[in-house]
Amino acid sequence: MSVAGRAAVSRGILLRLREQLEFTKKGQELLKMKRDHLASETNKLLSKVAERNELDRRLMQAYESLKAAYLSLGYTGLQSQAAAVDKMEIRVRPRSIMGVMVPEVLIEKKANTNSVSSSSASQAAVELNNLMEDLIKLVEAESRLESIAHELMMTNRKVNSLERVMIPGLLELISYVEGRLEEESLEEFFRAKLVKQVIRRGKK
Amino acid sequence: MRSPSTIYLVTRTHGLRTHLLSSENVKTMAKSRNISEIVDLLMRSDYASEIGKLPSDEIDSVRLEKIFLNKLTERFFILARNAGGKARDFLDAYVKRIEVENIKRVLRAKHAQEKIEEHNLIPLRREYTLINFPALTEAKNVEEMVSLLRETVYAPLNERLDNYKRVELSIILESFLEGIYFGRVWERIKGLDNRQGPKRLVGEESDLRNLQLMLSMKMRNIAPTLIEEMSIPTFYRLRKERLTELARGRLEDAPGILAGTPYNKIMEEVIKTPNSAINLETVLSRRIYQNASFALRNLFLEFGYIVAYLLLCEREAKNLVTITTAIDLKFSEEDLQRRLFL
Repeated sequence: MSVAGRAAVSRGILLRLREQLEFTKKGQELLKMKRDHLASETNKLLSKVAERNELDRRLMQAYESLKAAYLSLGYTGLQSQAAAVDKMEIRVRPRSIMGVMVPEVLIEKKANTNSVSSSSASQAAVELNNLMEDLIKLVEAESRLESIAHELMMTNRKVNSLERVMIPGLLELISYVEGRLEEESLEEFFRAKLVKQVIRRGKK
Repeated sequence: MRSPSTIYLVTRTHGLRTHLLSSENVKTMAKSRNISEIVDLLMRSDYASEIGKLPSDEIDSVRLEKIFLNKLTERFFILARNAGGKARDFLDAYVKRIEVENIKRVLRAKHAQEKIEEHNLIPLRREYTLINFPALTEAKNVEEMVSLLRETVYAPLNERLDNYKRVELSIILESFLEGIYFGRVWERIKGLDNRQGPKRLVGEESDLRNLQLMLSMKMRNIAPTLIEEMSIPTFYRLRKERLTELARGRLEDAPGILAGTPYNKIMEEVIKTPNSAINLETVLSRRIYQNASFALRNLFLEFGYIVAYLLLCEREAKNLVTITTAIDLKFSEEDLQRRLFL
């Protein structure tokens, strides 16, 4: 059953429907803008996520250095060297990108590996420390991408429903109401004509 | 002429030396496919009694490391306890390297405000040390820890506390501890009748430690003044001026700066090696143990034989830790062989 079949018909309703159509079109425009912005944000993040392979390679290299340090210092020795590293401090805060809440990771203090006295442990610590920053950035990008991709999908659905259901429905309703109002005004015109003729005949 | 106590001690060391694992034993262990194969081989050595106490399913490289370090401590202190007079003074000072390593471990943990427990230290029985390690591990920070050491030979550490606070690097205090250690050992060498051998072994070790410290700091781009400050003030064949030059110069120029010293070849080797930071310790430690092996063959009836033996005990512990760790981490046999001190 079409939307038009159930609609009441009056000039006021036509005005309201036209306002609603205007509002929906504006909403659609905004949602399209949001979709484009989210898509460009996704593209940016995708290039960051593509660095994962390089990070994997560097991680393996750092792991090899760590293994070498482990080998020359033993478990307790390496554990003790690791204790000398001043810990990294990070803060995670929410950030809004077009209304989508994404995590933002801020490195407040970098880890200081200068106190590691063993050269092999220090090398491993430096490599891992450099990597840690990039790993955090990658994790941030991946979690952002996840939230944005979800929102992008939802926005796309909304744009599609406005474009394919809501706006055509409103247009159909408006043209129905316009048609009905035109018919009614014609009926009114003929009725007035008939009334005038009847009055004229009565005078004669 | 050697004193009877030195002769006794050297003879005793000859006996103890037979308990060390031979290079062949170590090579065979390095070919093992798993920890249980190594354990089988170790059951025929001095480690058997300790390993035998472990349930077979609980044997891993971490537990074995404890056993190896425990044995090392025992071997160090057996000789010190059997010595007398000036030899005892020297050996008492020499075996303090284990105590120093433990202090450094506590220091690192306190610097980063990490929790440390006694099982994180090299096993050292209370009778072997005057340091109250349980109290040190409980200290709230580096300052409190240093204050707990004020009645010990490490009291001068307090003088470096301001420097430490200024640069916030625990390595400043670590190198100072090494300085105290080598200073005391060097001082006691002077009291020995037969000092040439120990002097060479300890002196070269101190030089090589200085080199290790310098290069490792240079690789991290630490300020030259700070590097100079950290040097161990016990110089044997590497004069202070050379070290200063080394601290101020470029890393690539190190072999040139060391020309005319016995260390220029080793420096070339370090610079040429890929991943020199990783291999620095291995290359320099190898030189220390090569010196010890040489002394063991040539200073047959000298006091240097004892120092060489102690260094070789350390080498054995390091080799065993390396082998068991490498087996656990599934290192290839070639990689492992390259890291062994044979």
